[in-house]
Amino acid sequence: MPALTRSLPAVSKHAVMIVGVLVTIFPFVWVAMMGTHTRSEIYSSPPPFYFGDNLISNYERLLEIMPFWLVLWNSLYVSVLGTIGAVFFCSMCAYGFFAYQFRGKNVIFGIMIASMMVPPVLTLIPFFLTVRFLGILDTHFALWFPGVANAFGIFLIRQYMTTSITRDLLDAAKVDGASDFRIYWSVVLPLIKPALATLAIVMFIGLWNNFLTPLIVLSTPEKYVLTLALRSVQSLANSPWGAIMLGTFLSMVPLLVAFLFFSKQMMAGLTAGAVKG
Amino acid sequence: MASVELKDLTKSFGDLTVLHNLNLTVEEGEFVALVGPSGCGKSTLLRIIAGLEEPTSGDLTMDGQWVNDLSPRERNIAMVFQSYALYPHMTVADNMGFNLRISGMGKAEIKQRVEETAEILNLSELMSRKPSQLSGGQRQRVAMGRALVRNPDVFLFDEPLSNLDAKLRVQMREEIKRLHKRVRTTSIYVTHDQIEAMTLADRIVILHGGHIQQVGTPTELYRNPANVFVAGFIGSPSMNFLDATLSTGGDRATLSLKDGQTLHCPLSDRLPAETEVTVGLRPEHLLVAPSGANDNVLHGTLELLEPTGAQNHLRVSINGSTLTAVDNTLASVTVDQPVALTIEPEKIHVFAR
Repeated sequence: MPALTRSLPAVSKHAVMIVGVLVTIFPFVWVAMMGTHTRSEIYSSPPPFYFGDNLISNYERLLEIMPFWLVLWNSLYVSVLGTIGAVFFCSMCAYGFFAYQFRGKNVIFGIMIASMMVPPVLTLIPFFLTVRFLGILDTHFALWFPGVANAFGIFLIRQYMTTSITRDLLDAAKVDGASDFRIYWSVVLPLIKPALATLAIVMFIGLWNNFLTPLIVLSTPEKYVLTLALRSVQSLANSPWGAIMLGTFLSMVPLLVAFLFFSKQMMAGLTAGAVKG
Repeated sequence: MASVELKDLTKSFGDLTVLHNLNLTVEEGEFVALVGPSGCGKSTLLRIIAGLEEPTSGDLTMDGQWVNDLSPRERNIAMVFQSYALYPHMTVADNMGFNLRISGMGKAEIKQRVEETAEILNLSELMSRKPSQLSGGQRQRVAMGRALVRNPDVFLFDEPLSNLDAKLRVQMREEIKRLHKRVRTTSIYVTHDQIEAMTLADRIVILHGGHIQQVGTPTELYRNPANVFVAGFIGSPSMNFLDATLSTGGDRATLSLKDGQTLHCPLSDRLPAETEVTVGLRPEHLLVAPSGANDNVLHGTLELLEPTGAQNHLRVSINGSTLTAVDNTLASVTVDQPVALTIEPEKIHVFAR
């Protein structure tokens, strides 16, 4: 009995965590299972909670209702370009705020932070009008480019710089003869890798899951990204849910893979400010 | 190697002027220390010489060339920072070779120069380590190596030893001195530690409130301080000061203290013109007076006796002021009893108040 009392906190802790994990992964498993059933099986009662044997036919149906691999490529293209662009431009802009003294620096930074408070939905119409004015409507460029210098990324990286880079280090590089860009590239960038990884993964997920921007920007089906393509086939009278679920599951795979590779850096980036000794 | 010259150099941050019309020449190959209390502007001056700050007005020349507008690299200076400022993501070898790489030197030559420098500083074993895997003293040596490897015209040191413990500091001080003897590069060294400045420098520049108080060799500053600030700053324990009235009748000057006791010192042109003066007495020049002595003797009460082994530090109360005396003879004196101190007339300093 005393042994049980002693181990109770640990047991309950584990129980809570296991429940948390189950709740988190349930939708993924559920979607994966649905991807192997036919539409009628999915609508049967109770719904089947096991893997079925219609994977191949669902896959064939998926390719019939949308150019799945083209759409996946479009998503990947937009997300990768947007992520690389954001990591590059946000870190450069953050470096500017971190390393240089200029008139109005704090005011500009303040306005930038304030812009993060504006609900994205409010900017939807202005965004559409701007994109149309620039003549980039119905292009992938309009999906990834506007976000490459975003307030969140600049803020995140600048804050990380202030905790991990000393002014002496910049001065030392200057005395060593490094140009401003060289200091940014050879000294600053390698030291903010965790923050870059965090921003990269946040940007990638954001771009990959983005539905609203493609919805208002894209009109040609060949240019659709996954979110838009999966939604567009649902409007059919007889939605092939098995195929859609399979497509949904396949669209999650790149994110899971990315997380497997970057999770360590991401955690390091998110906790760096908190635990620095 | 290059000489460095400041002409009417002034630096202000907004309304606050931190350096006032400084004039100074550092000769080729010379080791000059800039000393002063915190906030006296010594680090700012060093940063201006380095090219990391711009002077508000005045000229900075190196080897006669006007360098105000040149970048640190174009001035060919190297700097050792208080925090060492090593690049944490690079190995010792990369840290040392970074500036050579920037200047476009070939890989083989970089390797050779880095290895040569590492040998001078005993770093050869540590070349593949990262700064976080080094001790404080080793980091300090890497920082010096990084400066040394490029063969600069001028070496700048910004309190390079202040992050080390006392023992290591003495050791590194010796290494810096030995290194300077070997390479003879013009060096400017900022410190707030007067002992460091005295032991290392050929000449010392004392800064206070953005003004140069005095420039001279360590011995000159110790023997002939220009004012009360320099007198109090140089020497340890620091100089005792007493208010006195100066009269110059006869063949010697008489200094009358407030309580009527008098001291005599030789007449010289160094004596101030005023009659109200401050008398400076170095603790190591104050001796316990033998009984019966009556010339240049100050009578007081022994407040505190601090034995340090080789010498005793006496805290003597004289008419409301407390004087420190360093007694090398370990004379037997008793706390709270009268004690008499004497000083040679030539060793009395007199300053205008």
